[in-house]
Amino acid sequence: MRDRPWGLGPTGRRRWAMAALLLGHLVWMALGRGSSGRWRHLLDLLAIPPRTASARWEDWKAARSQRITNVREAQAEILGLRAQVTALLSARAAEAPRLAEADEAVRLLGLKKLLPLDFRAARVIVNVRKAPFGGMILDRGEDAGLVPDQGVICPEGVVGRIWDVGMTQSSLLPLDAYNASTGVMLARSRATGVLQGLGPGKAAIRYIGTQEVVQVGEPVFTSGLDRIFPRGLLVGYVSSALPHDVELHVEVVLAAPLDRVGVVLILPPHPQMEIQPPSGPAQAAPSKKGGR
Amino acid sequence: MSPPSAMPRVRRFLLALVCLGGIHYTAPWPGPQAVLNTFLVLGLAPGFNSPLAGMAWAAAGGWVLEGTLRLYPHLGGTGFGNMLAYLLAFSLVLRWPPHALKPYWGRQAVLVLIHTLLVHFSVAFAAGSHNWGTGWLWSLLLTPAWATVALRLHPPLHRK
Repeated sequence: MRDRPWGLGPTGRRRWAMAALLLGHLVWMALGRGSSGRWRHLLDLLAIPPRTASARWEDWKAARSQRITNVREAQAEILGLRAQVTALLSARAAEAPRLAEADEAVRLLGLKKLLPLDFRAARVIVNVRKAPFGGMILDRGEDAGLVPDQGVICPEGVVGRIWDVGMTQSSLLPLDAYNASTGVMLARSRATGVLQGLGPGKAAIRYIGTQEVVQVGEPVFTSGLDRIFPRGLLVGYVSSALPHDVELHVEVVLAAPLDRVGVVLILPPHPQMEIQPPSGPAQAAPSKKGGR
Repeated sequence: MSPPSAMPRVRRFLLALVCLGGIHYTAPWPGPQAVLNTFLVLGLAPGFNSPLAGMAWAAAGGWVLEGTLRLYPHLGGTGFGNMLAYLLAFSLVLRWPPHALKPYWGRQAVLVLIHTLLVHFSVAFAAGSHNWGTGWLWSLLLTPAWATVALRLHPPLHRK
């Protein structure tokens, strides 16, 4: 009996199988878009044995390279590693001040974005605040357009004001100096007073009436009345409030870390009393078509 | 045509299996991987006595290659293209069995180009637009090497 090409004989069955294989692929491609995850999962499973073998091979090579056969070589290697560690520690110590200053600069940039004022940045080059008649010296002076009584702030809070200006440097009167006075207000009662320095890190608010309710821990902000600082900059926190004659003696712990401040922002002279926080993205200009 | 002996069939089967494993494990190097795929489809598979077996090997090569590439959102295009290219190569081997090396290189080079087009059209149909890569160029440039291996070391059974 003759075997027909597309019959049920061996040749015909083979041809039908080939056609089914081709058509199956075609249908899969046309109708598919199903998940191929199972196929990939199978391939992942197949890849497990060689992956395991190569991991063991790497482990064996690592163990072999770390095996100690010569004590002298091992000691020399230890000495070399110690020298490397010492060099790395020295390099890290040398880089530490720069890193700290870079961190401070990053925080200052954040502050600069928050306040819509024309700031100038300056570096504190001398800080002898605790010495008698001591203060802080900035690396900017008349060459940068500074004038006395410009406010100085850092990301943590208010630092002080410019006291004297030289050609290339200027001296800073910190908030805690005995002769420093700043217009402030209390956060809760909005009572205003004058902050006067009491020594390192401390100051007191004068001219707060005994009828005011002041809580320990209450934030203290600038009032803007002295026209040196705008209203609302953080000065510190109330540490004690005791009645003294007709007024409250309110002591304040300053927020700015005056001992370790390295980079500061200098406010423009006589800033506006109220500053508006920057709005979102700039609005598109109004169309000329609609305007009359 | 005398029936093929068992040994070449087993050897061819083993060689195809090694080729399939090679396609899987050369996934980090797409050039050699494409050469192995081409060798399997155009060099080894047409030598199988059963066209069904040859077509299945060609399809398997395409699926393994696509599975290891992990590029296409839907698999199957390379397997389909491989099968079409295999059918063409198989019919050529049946009709004009190769007798000399250099004409065989030329025929295989043309088949490489047709195979490339078929595979990429199938992949475009199955998975959408994709990067063609340089695998086809590897296959084309190395045609003398793999075609010689296919013809001399493991001659197609139809030539016997």
